[in-house]
Amino acid sequence: MRTPFLVVSVALLLASAGDARPTLGAPRPAAIEASTTGCGTGWTHPHAGGQVLTLRNDGATAAGVMLVDPSSGAVYAEVEGLGPGVTRRLHLSLGGGTYAFRCEDDRAGDPVTGPSVRIAGGRGSSVAVLPVTNNDLYAPARAYSKYVDAGLDRLIAATDRLRAAVDDGDLGAARTAWTPAHVSYERLGAAYGTFGDFDGAINGGPAGLPKGVHDPDFTGFHRLEYGLWHGESAASLRKVADRLAHDTRALKSDFPHQRMDPADLPLRAHEILENTLQFQLTGTADQGSGTTLRTAAANVEGTREVLGVLRPVLRDRYPALSQVDTWLDRLDAQLKGRSSVDGLSTAERERLNGTAGRLLELLAPIATLAEPRRVS
Amino acid sequence: MSARGPRDDGAGGDRRSFLRGALAAGVAGSLAGASASAAAAPADRATTPPARPFHGVHQAGVLDRSRPRTIVVSLDVIASGRGELTEFFRTLTDRARTLTAGGAPDDSGISGPPPDSGVLGPDVPAGGLTVTVGVGASLFDDRYGLASRKPAGLKPMRMFPNDDLDPDWCHGDVSLQLSAEDDDTVVHALRDIARHTRGAAQIRWRMSGFTSPPRPSGTPRNLMGFKDGISNPDATSAAEMDRLVWADRSREPAWTAGGSYVVIRLIRMLVEFWDRVGITEQEQMFGRDRATGAPLDGTREADEPRFAEDPIGKVIPLTSHIRMANPRTPQTADSRILRRSYNYDRGVDSVGDLDMGLVFTCYQQNPERQFEAVQERLIDEPLVDYITPFGGGYFFALPGARDSKDFLGRTLLA
Ligand code: HEM
Repeated sequence: MRTPFLVVSVALLLASAGDARPTLGAPRPAAIEASTTGCGTGWTHPHAGGQVLTLRNDGATAAGVMLVDPSSGAVYAEVEGLGPGVTRRLHLSLGGGTYAFRCEDDRAGDPVTGPSVRIAGGRGSSVAVLPVTNNDLYAPARAYSKYVDAGLDRLIAATDRLRAAVDDGDLGAARTAWTPAHVSYERLGAAYGTFGDFDGAINGGPAGLPKGVHDPDFTGFHRLEYGLWHGESAASLRKVADRLAHDTRALKSDFPHQRMDPADLPLRAHEILENTLQFQLTGTADQGSGTTLRTAAANVEGTREVLGVLRPVLRDRYPALSQVDTWLDRLDAQLKGRSSVDGLSTAERERLNGTAGRLLELLAPIATLAEPRRVS
Repeated sequence: MSARGPRDDGAGGDRRSFLRGALAAGVAGSLAGASASAAAAPADRATTPPARPFHGVHQAGVLDRSRPRTIVVSLDVIASGRGELTEFFRTLTDRARTLTAGGAPDDSGISGPPPDSGVLGPDVPAGGLTVTVGVGASLFDDRYGLASRKPAGLKPMRMFPNDDLDPDWCHGDVSLQLSAEDDDTVVHALRDIARHTRGAAQIRWRMSGFTSPPRPSGTPRNLMGFKDGISNPDATSAAEMDRLVWADRSREPAWTAGGSYVVIRLIRMLVEFWDRVGITEQEQMFGRDRATGAPLDGTREADEPRFAEDPIGKVIPLTSHIRMANPRTPQTADSRILRRSYNYDRGVDSVGDLDMGLVFTCYQQNPERQFEAVQERLIDEPLVDYITPFGGGYFFALPGARDSKDFLGRTLLA
């Protein structure tokens, strides 16, 4: 996936550089320089209000550009990976203040800050945010890894109880043990490949498997769920339960190596619940247990943990953080005591879906504003 | 749960490797640059439809002729309490004002994802968009303390004898109609409004509709091949609109001034069955000529049928749609409705027949005196064998927002 994409891109990059490079002598539209040489020059009539600023990279390598408040370092706008010869437009609404461009060459060293530009006038609506660095995310990522580590122990214990019940041939006890074991996994916030291939093995669904629920590659919690709620025998489920218990241990021993990339943490803020909306609130994840809303509640716990560790980073950067808390509480209140979407009225489901939807809108900016950036 | 297999690499791997990959190689910008310069762009649109003024005593979109594209949406309000309900109407108005004016949204910088979907490009043309908002009877239940403010004639849509209503396709707290020249304009507006009002309202049902161009001239045709919308009250006559469309001060609460009742009926047409019917029978069912749209006693679509001269219906049968819908007698004159219907076309049913029909929409001063009177006259008309009403609702289209400080619903919530 990754390699071919890059190869194609580089080919395009060369083509575009050839096409977009102006021929000698041809008039060039006014643009602000985005390469490290001459960073920020060419900003001809700085003024307050709504405007379009055109950036052009006249350098030989790709550039990253930010419009910053030079005193605080807060960022108004950003263009990543501006190729040589390429022009980009920024739509901004600038208020009175001091501005500067900061340009970065990915091959070279420190970013270069261009001349400070003073603008007189009123308020603009473009917001500046203090960028987050990898360093800022280090402690949160460590704290989150600790949470996952402790959660993995609980997962293993709960999964062992589930396996023991299946081994004993006590399917009633197995059904009772399934949900706590499963939610102990769902609490970990395994959205979008945090746990790599383990996630598919432990918690994958039948979609994409040629034989669906009967596919030999359908394994883990949902395979067991299917069997336990569709009258399969204990003998036939033993292998599934053993494999699951084994996979949870393998995940635990592998996790230190998988230790979370700090840059992933801000993405988790909304990705965990994106999955919840897609698979749990629709009910599609259900293989018979009727517990997708308990899964959803566990996913909310995982999201709360992500937000908890990110809070120091977000507190001064995200004004809507208190709204996030309000809507998390609302979602929790609506999930409380509920297990399955079946049996909910249209109005109840609309409230649940709309609450999750609003929460997602509020969580999404965290991925952008807390994405780690180089500042020096 | 997360998707297994390819999706695991796809979704997870993709998102991250794209960001990193692009950053590392510095290609994101060059991709855009390359595609722009790769080939000659298709011709620019010669003209873009101008913005429709948003402010006024009445909402835009009530008197307007049916536009090429529409989306009709019914929303259920989930706002908790009156304060959030007011916030919902303010946000809805604010978005409608912004979208109908058009204009480039500011970049969000690093403060969040882009504020606009980008569906209409960076400069977001107005595209002639109109946004028309109504409220249903259910909004006046005990949730928001509005029971005493209900418009006099607002009630849930009635079930008529030839109906086959599906509850999932009926009613709703709020109606929202987005109309414009192009599909992308209405889709963009719907996504924008839904995004900004999430947590306050959820879509209950929605239907996309279109109006055909004139074939070959005059009033556009519906999907039964007949010109539809020929005979209507005169929307340019203020006096006629005051009599037939705008809320009646003498019987309505004061807050409704400038509003109107809208009845939406989702009506499936059994087009395969219809196409197997002889032309004479088709024309007699409507009372008009299929080719020209003229009444069967006339030659041009604008000709007035002269029912009085044909008392036993030899030329235009007494059971024809136009004769039952509008007998053109002094007693039925005040039951006239302003029809603003759209065609819909969406997929296939379980026997492989095409699912298409009419988003019948009409505006009036009083749904009982007008829509229901007409619909009652139409009970068991011959056409009913070829159509199935399955959804819709009654709504009260709010008074317009007067100026940039006003909002739709202000007088209701005041
Ligand atoms: C799929 C369902 C329907 C179809 C295909 C249909 C079609 C037509 C056509 C072809 C005409 C003649 C052209 C014109 O004057 O516009 C017409 C007229 C009319 N229809 Fe319908 N119609 C439908 C449903 C309804 C409904 C539900 C109502 C109201 C309850 C209604 C009320 C009227 C009225 C008032 C007229 C004008 C009569 C006149 O003033 O001459 N129609 N319709």
